[in-house]
Amino acid sequence: MTPDKHDVLYGTLGLMVIKTLEALGPLHGYLIARRIEQISGNQLSLNQGTLYPALLKLQQSGWISSKWGTSESGRRVRIYTLTSAGRKQLQKEEAQWQRATSIVERFLKISENPS
Amino acid sequence: MTRLRILLFRLWSLVRARQMDREIDDEITSHLAEATDAYIQQGLSPEEARLAALRGFGGITQAKEVYRHVRSFMWLDDLARDLRHTVRALRRSPGFALVTIVTLALGLGATTVIFSVVNGIFLRPLPYPGADRLMQVQPMLARGSGLFSYPDFADVQEQNRTFAGLAAYTSRKTSAATVDQAFRATSTQVSPGFLSVMGVAPAFGRGFSADEEQTGESVAVVSYGYWQDRLAARSDFTSQGVRVNDRIYTVIGVMPRGYDFPAGTDLWTPLAPRTQSRTRTAHGFQVVGRLRSDSSAAVAQQDLKSIATRLKQQYGDDEDMVDASVRPMIEQLAGNVRAALTVLLGASVALLLVACVNVANLMLARALSLDRESALRLALGAGPWSVARRFMTETLVLTMAGAGLGLAIAFGGIAALLAQSTTQLPRTDEIGLDVRVLLFLLAVSMIAASVVGVFPAFRAARRDPRDALADSQRIQGPSATTRRFSGGFVMAQISLTVVLLVGAGLVGRSVLKLLDEDPGYRTDDALVMDIWLPAEELSGASTELSAGDAHVATYLDRLMGGLRRIPGVERVGGINHFPLQWPPGANGSYILINRPDEVANWDDWERVGSDRSRTGKAQFRVASSEYFAAMRIPLIRGRMFDARDTPDAPHVALVSASLAEERWPGQDPLGRLVQFGGMDGDYRAFTIVGIVGDIQELGLGRTPQPTFYADERQRPRRANEFHVVFQGGGDGATLTAAARGVARDLDPTIPVAFRTLRTVVSAWIGDRQFVLVLLTLFGVVALVLAATGVYGVVSYMAARRMPEIGVRVALGARGRDVVRLLVREGAVCTVGGVTIGLIVASLSTRAVASWLFGVGGTDPTTFAVVAVAMSAVALAASWVPAYRTSCTDAMEALRQD
Repeated sequence: MTPDKHDVLYGTLGLMVIKTLEALGPLHGYLIARRIEQISGNQLSLNQGTLYPALLKLQQSGWISSKWGTSESGRRVRIYTLTSAGRKQLQKEEAQWQRATSIVERFLKISENPS
Repeated sequence: MTRLRILLFRLWSLVRARQMDREIDDEITSHLAEATDAYIQQGLSPEEARLAALRGFGGITQAKEVYRHVRSFMWLDDLARDLRHTVRALRRSPGFALVTIVTLALGLGATTVIFSVVNGIFLRPLPYPGADRLMQVQPMLARGSGLFSYPDFADVQEQNRTFAGLAAYTSRKTSAATVDQAFRATSTQVSPGFLSVMGVAPAFGRGFSADEEQTGESVAVVSYGYWQDRLAARSDFTSQGVRVNDRIYTVIGVMPRGYDFPAGTDLWTPLAPRTQSRTRTAHGFQVVGRLRSDSSAAVAQQDLKSIATRLKQQYGDDEDMVDASVRPMIEQLAGNVRAALTVLLGASVALLLVACVNVANLMLARALSLDRESALRLALGAGPWSVARRFMTETLVLTMAGAGLGLAIAFGGIAALLAQSTTQLPRTDEIGLDVRVLLFLLAVSMIAASVVGVFPAFRAARRDPRDALADSQRIQGPSATTRRFSGGFVMAQISLTVVLLVGAGLVGRSVLKLLDEDPGYRTDDALVMDIWLPAEELSGASTELSAGDAHVATYLDRLMGGLRRIPGVERVGGINHFPLQWPPGANGSYILINRPDEVANWDDWERVGSDRSRTGKAQFRVASSEYFAAMRIPLIRGRMFDARDTPDAPHVALVSASLAEERWPGQDPLGRLVQFGGMDGDYRAFTIVGIVGDIQELGLGRTPQPTFYADERQRPRRANEFHVVFQGGGDGATLTAAARGVARDLDPTIPVAFRTLRTVVSAWIGDRQFVLVLLTLFGVVALVLAATGVYGVVSYMAARRMPEIGVRVALGARGRDVVRLLVREGAVCTVGGVTIGLIVASLSTRAVASWLFGVGGTDPTTFAVVAVAMSAVALAASWVPAYRTSCTDAMEALRQD
């Protein structure tokens, strides 16, 4: 396997899932996993199995809902949809995330320029 | 908000865990299939594609595990796992599990049985509105509590400021008859306002009107049971008269189902206040009162005390009430069993403790044998909590199983208890398993679990694994601490057992002593036939027999004559109040007179009676001539009643030896004239013609009371309740059938019943016997448990010290020495336990004092026997494993590890 792949940062999988669902609409588990891998430019080593507990947690929080449906290849799959609560949560988390990264960025700049 | 959602979601998931497991399996399968398809499209072979899909997914099992974590509560899963583990572990040692569960079940079951009785009698509210304000009021006389006289009751009713209402009542068994049947009934006469004091109105029909209450109209309210059984639950019951004591009562109302006060009443009838005796020393009424809402029992007590004091001052010697007691009705109902139940509850808790100690010891032994396993788990990184949890789960499982079995035992125990005819428990229909009893069992089980489980759990968790793994107990033997604990447990157990056995022993010896008492009359298999005749109301004074009285005398004469004609029957005699009968019989004042006609009416009675030197008090009984011979009560001097004593001849009387002694010390009572008109309203004088032996009438071992006997043919007025004693040749059943035939031929409407004197005595002893049987049962179970406790500890010690013993034997110790070495372990506990037990017992025998008779609370014989028996059993229990150990081969013992 590619040696420079990164593990999913703790706590970010949920955010990735709801962002994916927001961008692409209702999807089943395998497609969500594939999209996350593709969007990360295959830079992310996602154990696809870990996706399912994350999906369950999101459902418990009420941010996504699911129902049984059929995949393009005709298999019985569970299809996940973003709820309106999930959409709000996404906005909140995006904002938080951006603030956090901008702070970290600033720190990194300091350390790059020791004066 | 989100937290709450998650909680609800997880709770919901608990319910559908299985389905969710299936769904996630399906989802993963689909996922893998989709992924495989995708890889195949990328050009991989199906086999390679499948492997790639699996690789991409990661560990399936791990994923599911995490999924389960998220799905629901982890600790529940943990608990389930612990439970599974425990059940598996217990299956591997079924003996341990079985002994533990059965032991706990015995303790829990016994405690639950007794508690359910306590619950039914004391804790469940009485079925009357505002029952906590219903009080039983009793006058206190100089010699103790008693019944109210009507004038006293009327004064208390009028003058008190603490009761919203007071009512007097008096119950008696009578014969009653409807149009088509005759039967025995309990009829209660009630004073005005009785039903409103109780706060219960008839379910059908109406209660008494104020007029009916004042004039004592012939109307009756009947019990629900009476309405069903005797009136066939007909709605036109008002047309159904009932004849009681030659008066026809019109039924006007039916009380609600379950209403039963005073207990056993079939008919309530009004008593006319105006026709009641004016004598303040003629006691005959029980009184119930409803407290005013702003009052309390203590305040009411003060109130009545001051009234009693006032009455005493006002009437002097004509008043014998000095105080009054006010007690909640529930206490009154349960009064005589309270002491018994307190003792038995204590005893059952002691038994439970013995059981818990046994189990605690077993658990400790088990914890020791699992030391290495626990240490290993600690060393491998298990937290102390998880190691401790294992023991606690085990305790919990065992206790709950014990509680389940205990519940079954309780169920059977309650049924057996209620089936025991010798016990007269009040409110038996309220006794049973209810929510409160179940909660009690649960709580007690939890306490028991923590008693038996905490120590091993704590010990296992606290140990340093290096120590546990390093010290091989097989070489060193159990640590001193452990031995002390085990020994202490067994000691506690033995001492509790000793306390129980001493209690049982003391009560048992009392019962034996009571049965040994000579009550002054026979107590064998002679038959007693109880008869209830209709009686006239006592009304005013008279000097001659009414038609009703004559009817009683004629009936009794014919009945006893008929009984004498049964082949083999000799000596037939009866009395109106039988020994050991409850409530006690009538007693009253008599006057010594000089001329037969000195007292001919109430005014004479009052005038002569005011001379205190000429009055006295005695029991008043009406007996037939052969009663004394039939009961084997000896004639001391003079003569019995005989053929001379016809109704028209001068009336004669017998006195008991104690009455003769009390009234005529050093003089001859024969030929003296006595007036007892206050008792039966007949003012004809008695001539004393004989002295008969004293009898213990109130109870075995009770001091005989001065008693006055009139002849039933001359004074039949109080003989409408009569008890005829006789003995015949053949067996009891044939004789009973023959006697019943005689009664039926004579008058089929008169109800009769049969007992033997032996059952009269055993019914009286029943109360003590009830305590005795249960105490003995608890004591014996505790003894068995204590014996297994000792056995267990000694065998455990023996097993642990096997290598040491091997060395000793190799060095020349003989079997005897080994036995002595091990028995000493048990002996130390036994001596300590017995000593402590005897001390505790001597301090706590006050609890059983009310059942003791003829033995002191610290009866040396009982104490010695219990001490010897307990020691013998304990030493035998330690000798068995010791002997077995001494028989094992030394080399084998050494090779064991």
